[in-house]
Amino acid sequence: MSPSSRFPIPQGTLDMLLLQILSAEPAHGYGIAQRLQQISRSVVQVNQGSLYPALHRLEQKGWLSAEWKESETGREAKFYSLTASGRKQLAVEKNSWVRLAGAVQHIFNEGEG
Amino acid sequence: MIREFANWFRRKKLESGLDRELRYHLDRNIADLEKSGLPAREAHRQALLELGGIARIQEEVRDVWLTRWLRDLTYDLRFSVRSFRRTPSFTITAALSLMLGIGATTAIYSLVDQVLLHALPVRQPERLVLIDWDGDQVGNFFGSWNLMSYPICRDLDQQKQFFEGVFCRALATVDLSTGGDYNPVTAEIISGNYFPVLGVGPAVGQVITNDDDRTPNVNPVAVVSYDFWKSQLGGAPDVVGRTVLVNRHPLTIIGVAAATFRGVDVGEIPSLWIPASMSAQAIPGFNNLLDRRTVWVQVLGRLNQGVTLQEAQTGLQPWFKAMLQEDTRRAGFPVITAERRQEFLNSSIVLTAAPRGHAPLRRRLSEPLWVLFAVTGVLLGLACLNVSGLFLARGSAREREIGTRLALGASPWRLGRQLLADSLLIAFAGGLLGIAAAPVAVRTLIAFVPDGTAPTGLHAGVNSRLLLFALFVSVTTGLLSGLAPAWQTGRRSLVSSLRERGGTSFGGVRLRKAIVTAQIALTLTLVVGAALFVRTLDALMAKGPGFVTSSLVSFDINSLRDGYSPEEGNRLIQRMDEAIRQSPITQASAVARNGLLTGGSWNNHMTIFADKTIATDGLVNLNAVTPAFFQTMGIKILAGRNFDDRDVRRPGDPLWRSAIVNETFVKRYLGGRNPLGLQICQFAGPDAKPTTEIVGVMADFNYRGLRDQSAQAYFPLYEGEHSSGTFYVRVRGTPESSFASIRATVRSIDRTLAINNFRTVNQQVERSLNTEHMLATLTGSFSTLALLLSSVGLYGVMSFVVTQRTREIGIRLALGATRWSAIWLVLRDALVMILSGIAIGLPFVWALGRLIASQLYDVKPSDPAAIAIAILLLCLAGLTAGLIPAHRVSGANPTDALRVE
Repeated sequence: MSPSSRFPIPQGTLDMLLLQILSAEPAHGYGIAQRLQQISRSVVQVNQGSLYPALHRLEQKGWLSAEWKESETGREAKFYSLTASGRKQLAVEKNSWVRLAGAVQHIFNEGEG
Repeated sequence: MIREFANWFRRKKLESGLDRELRYHLDRNIADLEKSGLPAREAHRQALLELGGIARIQEEVRDVWLTRWLRDLTYDLRFSVRSFRRTPSFTITAALSLMLGIGATTAIYSLVDQVLLHALPVRQPERLVLIDWDGDQVGNFFGSWNLMSYPICRDLDQQKQFFEGVFCRALATVDLSTGGDYNPVTAEIISGNYFPVLGVGPAVGQVITNDDDRTPNVNPVAVVSYDFWKSQLGGAPDVVGRTVLVNRHPLTIIGVAAATFRGVDVGEIPSLWIPASMSAQAIPGFNNLLDRRTVWVQVLGRLNQGVTLQEAQTGLQPWFKAMLQEDTRRAGFPVITAERRQEFLNSSIVLTAAPRGHAPLRRRLSEPLWVLFAVTGVLLGLACLNVSGLFLARGSAREREIGTRLALGASPWRLGRQLLADSLLIAFAGGLLGIAAAPVAVRTLIAFVPDGTAPTGLHAGVNSRLLLFALFVSVTTGLLSGLAPAWQTGRRSLVSSLRERGGTSFGGVRLRKAIVTAQIALTLTLVVGAALFVRTLDALMAKGPGFVTSSLVSFDINSLRDGYSPEEGNRLIQRMDEAIRQSPITQASAVARNGLLTGGSWNNHMTIFADKTIATDGLVNLNAVTPAFFQTMGIKILAGRNFDDRDVRRPGDPLWRSAIVNETFVKRYLGGRNPLGLQICQFAGPDAKPTTEIVGVMADFNYRGLRDQSAQAYFPLYEGEHSSGTFYVRVRGTPESSFASIRATVRSIDRTLAINNFRTVNQQVERSLNTEHMLATLTGSFSTLALLLSSVGLYGVMSFVVTQRTREIGIRLALGATRWSAIWLVLRDALVMILSGIAIGLPFVWALGRLIASQLYDVKPSDPAAIAIAILLLCLAGLTAGLIPAHRVSGANPTDALRVE
């Protein structure tokens, strides 16, 4: 599949994905971009440029904290990690996502049945 | 919100952080791409492409940091500052207009706040109440306003289910020496629990407590005020333990009160506090502290937490009724008629909220201050309108710029916001200037409030409340003055603004004319108000007090405070009267028990024994004077005779054998009866007996103040009856030159005697008129400013209109119109605005008149002369402002005018 045929990421889900990725371990912006690409390969398209406003927004909301430390290449990079309130937020968003997806699935099933 | 503001201040750091972050991202991506085999240049290009527009990312992240509107606001403000710098004369005019408005409003608000609104700086002032007796106390009164006796205060203090504590206070002037000369200062005589109940502590040492107020005469202590300590004692650290002499009695200073605390009366600040147990020393001749019928203190209490005023008032009545019953059975309760006894027993206790303490000044100044506050509000409105007009004018000049911005896709809302930012910025500049000018203005205002012995607690400092007020006013002003221009921009259609040629349009002219009309209407009310106050002051000055004030000097002597016994004091007053009468500079001199024009008086209801017994329905002002009084003051005896030897009191006589009453007394109470020979009594009630004969009728003159038209009765003041009094001396030559000579005469009798209120009677007249003076001067200056502001507004609009019509007028001139008809063409426009402004203003004038009627004297709120003068002034100022541009255009060369396009 060519890049252009990938889905643009749905509105509002980028935040949730970022929180999910960071729930595993702290990471810097480039690392997060890589992970997003790996995980969602060939399904969703994440514009690298929209990553940073989102990260800063989540940091501002207090769901992420950030610190500068040495990265795997030895250079200083800004590492983001999930805060306690960020973890709570992730749970909330996951839950509502599951419910929404379930409901949508249910409607499709009804239509087919 | 707070986070966003904080981010604004650390935006440098945030920016560099983001830069590093993005740089790291790019470098890593480039490295990875190179590893995968791309050439360096291509890798670089690819990485940038994947990230997609660094500038856009930065913008979006900045929006996260600061939020959109805050960023826009900073851009707007930056743009405003730049455009203001380009047009300094506009900026200065607008900022100065607002400075006048905001400065004046803030200054008056400062007084309103201090006198009328500010709660005492004590613990939970909202729980303080003033406790008052409603009914006949069967007492002897000393002082005025809300008085009770000291023992009743102590009883009230025991009502612990309602009160945390109840204390009392009374002001007294004492002669104080801190080592040198005696000077009169104000002392507050207080019950021992005053400081604890108020919750005021010491700055140094300790405050007076209940232990200092248990037994009369055994605790010679005092607490001095912080201001007194700093100014009179040089802030000495060893102040505690020092001795001061109060009326020649030594008192030991035990402490200095907290710096912010200035007593419970903002109008009279005590220099020291003395426990009530020492009242005999503080008030010479007073030894009735424990007498339940001696009524002299104001009683205030602190309600218990959770007890409401109403609960306490209702709950206290049973105790109070029982106390009244008990009082009538006490030894020493006066023998009174059954009727009066019933009145006594029907008394009740009344509580009023007193978070601001107890201040007669508030009663006197509240109305004038609210009037002035309203006036400055109007002035501020005028300044707003002026700035609005200026902005509209600038808006027309910026037509091109705004049209272009609209064409490029800016929303009208966005442009309106820009204009609002402009006006907010100007308002803040004006507000800052206003705040800077306010202290000077407040100091000038305070100078109008007369000082007695005690200084008033009014100060010119800028505090946080005032800053908050000025901020509020500035923001409101900014919004209001920005409203019209912003609205105008929002309404402008893109097509019309592009269609107009050469950036000239009539857009906004109608609005600007409306603004000027409103300004004229507001100005009219101010000018009429000022005219009314000036006429009031004039009328009072022209009328005078009813006696001849030139070359008249007065001063008070209170010999008891200077250590005299009553008998010695009597002899002293007599000796001084004689010495002054024989002095070569004296034309005539007299002594009165009470001074005139001080605002106060000795007064009582009286009884007249004519064919029937008449009790006066109002208070009669009383005084006692030496026989020389009428001649000294130039007061005519209209009927009967002056006091003479026949009136000297003989042993066994009633206190006053004879009286001279004034015309008003005769008119008001005698109903055509011949006053001479009638018997009267100096009080009313069942006990009144005919004791005093009316021997003369004097012409009316003022006692309390210049507006006073009271009934008066004067008694003879003879040797051996008084130890204090006010001396009136009519001198040869100027009064000022006689001061030294009179002082020397007094000093020759007693070197250390304190001479109080030594001034000319003309000065006393002016002091008694200071409220009127304040109103006339301030409304006068405010309306001058208003005239100036609206003239500037009118001039601005007319200049603009004239520019618009240059071509038209040029054609008219070319076709043979005369210069005068051209001028008239323009002036007609101005006249329409002025006249419609006046028409709109007249109803406001009527409303204002009702508001200030009680402050006026001898002039109706609808005084035609005042209104005519105001209208004339307005027309004159307005036409002058209109004439300048009219004249300019009429002189234009028709050819030039036609070429203007």
